[in-house]
Amino acid sequence: MIYFFDGTKSGFLTAFLHAFDDPDALLTSKKAQLTLGQTPVFIQTDESKAARALQRLRSFDCEFEHDLDFLLRSGMENNEQIAFRYVRFLAKIKRPIRNQLAESDVFAAVECMKKIGLEIHHFHGFIRFMETQSGVLYAPFSPDNDICDLLVPHFRARLPQYPFVLHDVKRKTAAVYDGKNYFIAPLDKADVLLSADETEWQALWKKYYNAVNIPSRERLKQMRGFMPVRYWKFMPEKQ
Amino acid sequence: MFDFLIFICYNSVMITQEKLTILTESAKYDVSCSSSGSNRKNTGGIGNGYVSGCCHSFTPDGRCISLLKILLSNDCIYNCKYCPNRLDADVPRATATPDEICELVIDFYKRNYIEGLFLSSAVCKNPDYTMERLLLTVKKLRTEYHFQGYIHLKGIPRADSLLMQEAAKYADRMSYNIELPSEQSLKLLAPQKSKESLLLPMKELTQQKIRFTEEKRKGQYKGHFLPAGQTTQMIIGASPERDGQILRLTQSLYRKMDMKRVYYSSYVPIVRDSLLPDIPAGQLREHRLYQADWLLRFYGFTVEELLTENENLSTEFDPKCAWALKNMHLFPVEINRAPLELLLRVPGIGAKNAHKILTARRYAVLSFEDLAKMRVALKRAKHFITCNGKFFGAKNENAVRGLLAAAETQDSAQQMDLFHLLSTPQNALISLHGQL
Ligand code: SF4
Repeated sequence: MIYFFDGTKSGFLTAFLHAFDDPDALLTSKKAQLTLGQTPVFIQTDESKAARALQRLRSFDCEFEHDLDFLLRSGMENNEQIAFRYVRFLAKIKRPIRNQLAESDVFAAVECMKKIGLEIHHFHGFIRFMETQSGVLYAPFSPDNDICDLLVPHFRARLPQYPFVLHDVKRKTAAVYDGKNYFIAPLDKADVLLSADETEWQALWKKYYNAVNIPSRERLKQMRGFMPVRYWKFMPEKQ
Repeated sequence: MFDFLIFICYNSVMITQEKLTILTESAKYDVSCSSSGSNRKNTGGIGNGYVSGCCHSFTPDGRCISLLKILLSNDCIYNCKYCPNRLDADVPRATATPDEICELVIDFYKRNYIEGLFLSSAVCKNPDYTMERLLLTVKKLRTEYHFQGYIHLKGIPRADSLLMQEAAKYADRMSYNIELPSEQSLKLLAPQKSKESLLLPMKELTQQKIRFTEEKRKGQYKGHFLPAGQTTQMIIGASPERDGQILRLTQSLYRKMDMKRVYYSSYVPIVRDSLLPDIPAGQLREHRLYQADWLLRFYGFTVEELLTENENLSTEFDPKCAWALKNMHLFPVEINRAPLELLLRVPGIGAKNAHKILTARRYAVLSFEDLAKMRVALKRAKHFITCNGKFFGAKNENAVRGLLAAAETQDSAQQMDLFHLLSTPQNALISLHGQL
């Protein structure tokens, strides 16, 4: 049976309670996963049930909430199903399971979380800010996973005096830091007026990028392996 | 109008594209680019350290860009035979001002292009003058531009030791390059440098760091002193030393000088000279040296176990395989019981997988299938392990040899790709976690 929920954490936990005993359960919030011929159950989110489930799961594993948060942020097609199988296994074993890597449900969840951790690390490096006329630094990007807000602490710690905007253009959402506080806001399109020097600095950066390369040792496959092509769109040196 | 003037003044320190290109081209053959090891905190100003290091871009040669790697000047009074910037060479020369470098760093850094600065210089006018300019640049960057990101500074041999000591208070890491693996080669190819002039400053910095750490502990000193330590680099294949000799030097640098990293740079003939070989050193050789280097640092091997002074590393097998084949009496080891030190010595099992196995076997007796499920690479390892008493490898030593050689050829395309990034933090991670 397919259990269709609203994509929220509470929605997931409600669906989890419904699906627990169903050996063929499939949890999803993505319309694309509704295959023809299968009638889904539409799950009505129940906050109080969800809260109780959460409390119980937390008593099995105090870091459970972090894992669930990560799994639901994943951009993988079947991330919610991976989360479901992981949580169901946790509910059966009743103590932390993340080290039981020989279990395929655990392994899949751990790999999924690792991918998110890796993408966060990637974007600590691959984010590209441009300076706007007002001095705000603006960085559009398009991550695989929903990690926009998770990048804020890193940049805030290093650029405390610079207001910045991290704009996930795929999910149309932005993390905004105003020099003191930060908040998340929906953002479809940003009108950006560049500062007077911005293009000049970008040109210098491109010069640097080309000059530091050693052409006789070309290894394009390797470059792409470390810096996936889908990230290039927002990097001036790759334009 | 007044605003406009200020604007012009500010702009006047933007380095020109031409100068940037010359000073970058001259610096790019240096291999070390790691930005790890500093945990400098932001206390106002701009920037901080990133303990594990961070790559900001990758160039088509597959190398990571972490630091802005640049020379303050490429105008050299020395004549090292292998160097494109040597006195006799006919190349365009440029010298940047400290402010040009500082502006460049700040503007690149705030756009998140770089993790910090790797500043070096040719010997311009004389060693003291050059070191003074380098010191002035990093001091300005820290105190006037309030930059707290990563700074790696190259030391100039034969410069006044007080200048060096002062610079160490502003830089995260310093390096004096050993350049060539023996004194004879140094005499021949870099006549103005001597072993003493390179080793002495390293020794002094090591001792001073101990002193400053002690004073800091007692509360007598507040600042930093090379939080990310020292590294060094040598050119491989320009001179006749064997791997055994090179790795003995490496081991003593790690033990006696507390080096964080030793980098190997395979020789590229950019310059023609009768004293230099015409062909580049094999990149496989550099790869093998890095593999052996990892074994020394993270796998508990000593150089004496790996090879004799006059030997080269095997081209056919990676150093760990080569060692295991010489020590077949120690294998197979039982995966469910072997201590970490022994797991680490199994060919094909890297540090990350060894730890994975330690964790997983607390919950279950691991079978061969379990290892495969956990994606532990077994192509090599299976000849050296038993899983719950069962052995899945080849029956005799000759068969093992053949299969390992085949695995090596199969992987060689991939490996040749891998080796070149061993000097990047990203790759450091991969090697640490991956299969060695
Ligand atoms: S000192 Fe030697 S290696 Fe350094 S720039 Fe001058 S000639 Fe080149």
